[in-house]
Amino acid sequence: MGNNQHPLAYDYTVTRLFLYATILFGIIGMTIGVIIAFQLAFPELNYLFGEYGTFSRLRPIHTNGVAFGFTVSGIFATWYYVGQRVLKVSMAESPFLMVVGKLHFAVYILTILLAVVTLFAGITTSKEYAELEWPLDLLVVVFWVLWGVSIFGLIGIRRERTLYISIWYYIAAFLAVAMLFLFNNMEVPTALVSGHGSWYHSVSWYAGTNDALVQWWFGHNAVAFVFTTPIVAMIYYFLPKESGQTVYSYKLSLLSFWGLMFVYLWAGGHHLIYSTVPDWMQTMGSVFSIVLILPSWGSAINMLLTMKGEWNQLQSNPLIKFMVLGSTFYMLSTLEGPIQAIKSVNALAHFTDWIPGHVHDGTLGWVGFMIIAAIYHMTPRLFKRELYSKSLMETQFWLQTIGIVLYFSSMWIAGITQGMMWRATDEFGNLSYSFIDTVVVLHPYYTLRAVGGLLYLTGIFIWAYNIYKTISVGRKLEDKELNVNKSPMSAN
Amino acid sequence: MFHWLEERPFFFAVGVFLTIAFAGLIEILPSFVEASRPTVGTKPYSTLELAGRNVYIADSCNACHSQLIRPFKNETDRYGMYSLSGEYAYDRPFLWGSKRTGPDLHRVGNYRTTDWHENHMWDPISVVPGSIMPAYKHMFSKSADLETAYAEAVTVNKVFNAPYNTAITMRDGSSVTVKLPATYDEAKADMLTEAKIIANSMKNQDVKDAVEKGEIPQIVALIAYLNILK
Amino acid sequence: MELGQIQAYAYFFFTAFLVTVLYAYIVHLYRAEKKGTRNYEKYGNLAINDDVSTTPIEQVGVAREPSYKIK
Repeated sequence: MGNNQHPLAYDYTVTRLFLYATILFGIIGMTIGVIIAFQLAFPELNYLFGEYGTFSRLRPIHTNGVAFGFTVSGIFATWYYVGQRVLKVSMAESPFLMVVGKLHFAVYILTILLAVVTLFAGITTSKEYAELEWPLDLLVVVFWVLWGVSIFGLIGIRRERTLYISIWYYIAAFLAVAMLFLFNNMEVPTALVSGHGSWYHSVSWYAGTNDALVQWWFGHNAVAFVFTTPIVAMIYYFLPKESGQTVYSYKLSLLSFWGLMFVYLWAGGHHLIYSTVPDWMQTMGSVFSIVLILPSWGSAINMLLTMKGEWNQLQSNPLIKFMVLGSTFYMLSTLEGPIQAIKSVNALAHFTDWIPGHVHDGTLGWVGFMIIAAIYHMTPRLFKRELYSKSLMETQFWLQTIGIVLYFSSMWIAGITQGMMWRATDEFGNLSYSFIDTVVVLHPYYTLRAVGGLLYLTGIFIWAYNIYKTISVGRKLEDKELNVNKSPMSAN
Repeated sequence: MFHWLEERPFFFAVGVFLTIAFAGLIEILPSFVEASRPTVGTKPYSTLELAGRNVYIADSCNACHSQLIRPFKNETDRYGMYSLSGEYAYDRPFLWGSKRTGPDLHRVGNYRTTDWHENHMWDPISVVPGSIMPAYKHMFSKSADLETAYAEAVTVNKVFNAPYNTAITMRDGSSVTVKLPATYDEAKADMLTEAKIIANSMKNQDVKDAVEKGEIPQIVALIAYLNILK
Repeated sequence: MELGQIQAYAYFFFTAFLVTVLYAYIVHLYRAEKKGTRNYEKYGNLAINDDVSTTPIEQVGVAREPSYKIK
């Protein structure tokens, strides 16, 4: 062995690529989110980019951008980091997996960029979170399979026999999304059948009520397996690692896992309460949504208890702040969701702004905070540099927290106000309000929500800036300085 | 037994998959054995209506408008009869929406007219003061994609047996046949005939001129679609 | 038997089966720990001691050491 030999190290090439993608799509997706939030308060903003700038065109780009751009690249970035570390195997050991990883990234980026372009052009299937037309769906299948190869490939050459709980959650996310995506996107390309018209157009394999059933079985569980399980995977790794505390109860984490797997899929029916799907499915959706509190809180409480005796870290380490508040928002939204799934509450809440309010508790507070923390944690290890500024992280944390509070409180009020006004009748039993009355009344809440969103977005820009500065001018770290739990960060 | 599973990633994955597939296997799959049965009076969309439906989808009208009237008095008072499963038998995809930033549209054809839509899509505030809906002026100049609509009708006819060229009994006992010609040129001629009737009740001269020239602006197709939502 | 009935029976038995398995799993987790055959809590360390040079809790196959590669 001469000087040209090195001890084996984890290889983060692919992680770094997905890290850039996470930040890029976070900025794009959330900027558009803030724009459409302001459009609801100030409709003149719809005309900034002609037909391409209306709320209706931008809304799918926002949802796809944050779900499949920001969140999914965050999931991939952490997979290529956590996967290697808990399996104790380096990507560098397998040229094959390295190629797969890079190809995975290339196909993924291509797909998401094409998705942005096609959605701007109004090429959509209209099914929420499954808007992409069939050629892009095929690309999604390709990069998803490549991810699967990477997961099982890395597992195949692992040193550590037992799969850490995070790996369980990544596997579940991979399998479930594959199943849901394939079934929901069954569509028939019209040009292939008829020989006429645009080549990328298709019709859904399912019609009407069946289509709705499959769509919300997918839609709800896309939330489960994109916004929940992979994020749980992240927190089970990053919180113990950053705090130096092992998971409070490993057994509880295993039980919550199986509970979640079993219960979650049944809950999709709660999107269709009082619709035309069979009654027993609606009831099932309602009941299972409530049962779902147990496994969700199992994970969340496990996380909070992991900090037992170490709560001082909450004050000293902004990353712990992000993760602990993230778990708390997870508890809040997994309690709120089941409440909204109760039939009588659903009658009021469905179709109102309370629903986007609920979604954003979870996505901004839980998914967003967890990914932000994960990227902060990984950056010093990926680039061997100290995090640029702790005080910027603190500022970001508080701006974003205030943003979330403004968001959900305004949407709670807006949703309940709207729901009550829709059903209000006068003494003779006539409707008290015309529909437009229930729109005009929401103006202040829409404005507040947009301001909340803007605060959160400001935090995202601070985050991107902080990461950029870390990579470019952060103090260089020796290997031994990285061999710690708490992420190295500069105090200023 | 449990630990055996935990140490074997492949079988472990199979176990996870079975657990998550369980709900779908029991709840979703069997429903498809029973195909959606149309209610009496539900007929497939004409090609022009399909073209309009595709405009509705391209501009994501469903992001703000539902097409699902729930069985509550306040909803039936506001929007009409609650929705029935069979009414959606030819909806591919379904367009129930998930949020009412604007009102439900499932029976909008009962209480809004061509000229109302024309004015409203051109400038919503002029018709509904306080509206936050954007104007969709580009629909007045851009042409609808008629050939793709025709392709869609042919596809649902071939693959899913949508009953085109078949007499369908309506609620009042009369019978209606939705035509689907064998060639695109014939279909286009039919669409133009339908479009002219709508354009005649509109006031926008550019739209009228376009239809005279054999082009169908998106707004005409969209109104054709909105008018049959009943 | 009607389809709905089959669905109902399948649902009931599957759910009963899975609930039984879940409870058996809980029993297994605690009993294994009590009898000392397997302590699940030690796997919590996988997140903490995750450097590539640390010794795995349970090695797969023969130890692939020393792991060097030419750069």
